[in-house]
Amino acid sequence: MNFARRFCRHPGAVIGLVVLILVIAMALLAPILFPGSPWDMAGAPFEPPGEDGMLLGTDSLGRDVAAGIAYGARVSLLVGAVSTVVSLFIGVALGAIAGYLGGLVDDLVMRFTEFFQTIPSFVLAILLVAIFTPSISSIIAAIAVVSWPPVARVVRAEFMSLRSREFVQAAQVLGKRPLGIVLTDILPNALSPIIVLASLMTASAILLESSLSFLGLGDPNLMSWGFLIGSGRSVIRLAWWMSVFPGLAIFATVLALNLVGEGLSDALNPRLRKRGAKP
Amino acid sequence: MSLLSVENLTIGLPSGGDRANAIENVTLQINPGEIVCVVGESGSGKSMTANATMGLLPPGLPVRSGRIMFEGIDLLTQSPEQLRRLRGARLAMIFQEPMTALNPLMRVGDQISEALRMHGDTSAATRVPELLAAVNLPDPKNLARAYPFRLSGGQRQRVMIAMALALEPSLLIADEPTTALDVTTQMQILRLIREIQTRRHTGVLFITHDFGVVAEIADRVAVMQHGRIVETGTAAEVLNNPQHPYTQALIAAVPRGIARATGPTQPGEPVLRMKGVVKTYRRGGGLFAKGTSFQAVHDADFVLHRGETLGIVGESGSGKSTLARCVVGLVTPERGEIKFNGSELRALSATAWKPFRRHIQMVFQDPYASLNPRRSVGDAIAEGPILHGTSRAKALDRARDLLRLVQLDAGAMDRFPHEFSGGQRQRIGLARALAMEPELLIADEPVSALDVSVQAQVLGLLADIRKRLGLTMLFITHDLRVAAEICDRVAVMQRGAIVEQGETGSVFNAPNHTYTQALLDSIPGRHWTPPESA
Repeated sequence: MNFARRFCRHPGAVIGLVVLILVIAMALLAPILFPGSPWDMAGAPFEPPGEDGMLLGTDSLGRDVAAGIAYGARVSLLVGAVSTVVSLFIGVALGAIAGYLGGLVDDLVMRFTEFFQTIPSFVLAILLVAIFTPSISSIIAAIAVVSWPPVARVVRAEFMSLRSREFVQAAQVLGKRPLGIVLTDILPNALSPIIVLASLMTASAILLESSLSFLGLGDPNLMSWGFLIGSGRSVIRLAWWMSVFPGLAIFATVLALNLVGEGLSDALNPRLRKRGAKP
Repeated sequence: MSLLSVENLTIGLPSGGDRANAIENVTLQINPGEIVCVVGESGSGKSMTANATMGLLPPGLPVRSGRIMFEGIDLLTQSPEQLRRLRGARLAMIFQEPMTALNPLMRVGDQISEALRMHGDTSAATRVPELLAAVNLPDPKNLARAYPFRLSGGQRQRVMIAMALALEPSLLIADEPTTALDVTTQMQILRLIREIQTRRHTGVLFITHDFGVVAEIADRVAVMQHGRIVETGTAAEVLNNPQHPYTQALIAAVPRGIARATGPTQPGEPVLRMKGVVKTYRRGGGLFAKGTSFQAVHDADFVLHRGETLGIVGESGSGKSTLARCVVGLVTPERGEIKFNGSELRALSATAWKPFRRHIQMVFQDPYASLNPRRSVGDAIAEGPILHGTSRAKALDRARDLLRLVQLDAGAMDRFPHEFSGGQRQRIGLARALAMEPELLIADEPVSALDVSVQAQVLGLLADIRKRLGLTMLFITHDLRVAAEICDRVAVMQRGAIVEQGETGSVFNAPNHTYTQALLDSIPGRHWTPPESA
């Protein structure tokens, strides 16, 4: 309908969406495309791309890089999606409480949020993963913990402006409970910036996860893009393909998510549509 | 020769608009020393006409035909540089919103002298205080050094007028210059424009939606509807003997400002009693600094009897909306009694308030902000009864009846607020309040955001429903003409206190307080009684 048409007006957003769908398909189809574990040897080590039936070559232990990328997509997308959901949950809850109640509660919540914002998020994430031993759940938790503050700020600002609107006052006069007002009157009207933010957060979560596994703090049982780059790093002059292809995968996915986010932002806020979009 | 002559001007709209042309075949003359009012409702194209003259058309709107001749030159064929020389020097404009028309980071004196320097006048230092004095601003020397935020709305509008008149233009375009102002300030600004115009023999193109203002200031009038001028004539002709049916309808919709016969002669038992209510707002302050406080409401005692309508009248900042919000519990006053049928409402918890919600309901001012944009009309109306335990099916049935009561189609149930006009939304807001079957209805400026003909419809509907359902009503308004139309009694508020209250007729005909007197004298077009039309 209208929303879809506005979204499609952005060529970039449409391309981003297509790339994203391809990455998701690759993640879902990984066991069919590459039967067997990505950790198993599939050919001779240091095989360049295209030789010996290896589409993207093999790494220093003879593992298939293409299989690694396909399985790595599962980890990246999973971490991106789940950590975003968790941090949305924390951020929306805190932002809603601060914005709706205001006053002292707002002050307390915001100081708490600033406490997290003053610590460099990547350092905090490393610290958390190192303390709780690297595993997929500790990585997701660490990323969620460092990425909720912007959500809380955006949600708080939206709630502050919406809560003084007359339709919220009308709901109060009807005798509606605060929780009902927050969930059915304010939140649905604050949804569009949250959706846009979520798509951008997924992108940065994928980057964070890759950086963590590049440093060797990934889940040791799961193949991931950051791990592939990290393990190929020492031989990058001999075998560029080991680092470059997973790097391209990260680049394409993050760029796609950002393009989709921008398209969503313009499609959800028709009044701000001017920049970028053709009439 | 006329000063400005707009000839057969047609300006197109982008395709997909609600009509093909923004304005069509507009022809208009202004002579030196003459005030011509262009009147019309929102969307009639009156501002478009002014903007076209000033060369301020938004991009993408093509001029399809016509000329705008000003002092013998066609403004539409001038280059941007030629137009720039004319603007400010020969034709000047004042805008509707004085709060946003001045640069907030520049002292007002500098803004005026900038206008002078722009056109090569170097005598700014002496001229600025003169100009500020000419628009009756006190202490012009100091005022020139003030930033806009220090000035009130009326003072800013005066600065705008001073700026517009700085180079003694021969044509002044005023686009609703008093709409955002209080009624007493409006009257001062109208008098000022009148006075300066007579003194300097300026031609004025005055855009307004208010026939009261027209009666106050116009020499000639042009009435616009859907982008066309439907009637022109001298002010006396158009106001007292309108020819076109649209003009007749508009004039018939103007509230008379004459107190109607009061409703219930026998006052019922008291429904609402306010006594000693005080609400103070604090601003600023922190750990070390003390903030300023300001009493929004004090000394506002009144009693509202069953079946009557009490109007609370006052200018912006008088505390009338705060008072209304105290009654419904949106604002909790620090002190005082709010007795509803004998029960104290002040400082009740949300749960303790709930039973009273059924009996006290509110209609809000802004029809665009008072409905949740993401909820269908039917759900919005049925929501209240459902919250109070009515079954969903029953509440929706009732919502359908209520839509009929407020003269909307039952098909509106599944549609969303953005599909309705302002007047229709205000009716939906009314239906939502009525769904609770309240005893007491609080209406906070329910018609001030509406066009005059829609305003008349909504007022008529309110009066009718009130009579039919036996409602008691507290009616907040800044417009005395509206208050006269609908209220049995009025209370006049000034700076948080009720300064006078009584039967509408006696307050209007024999005001005791000087402020009431000043308010009544400021009603635009008070000396003009609209003709009784068929």
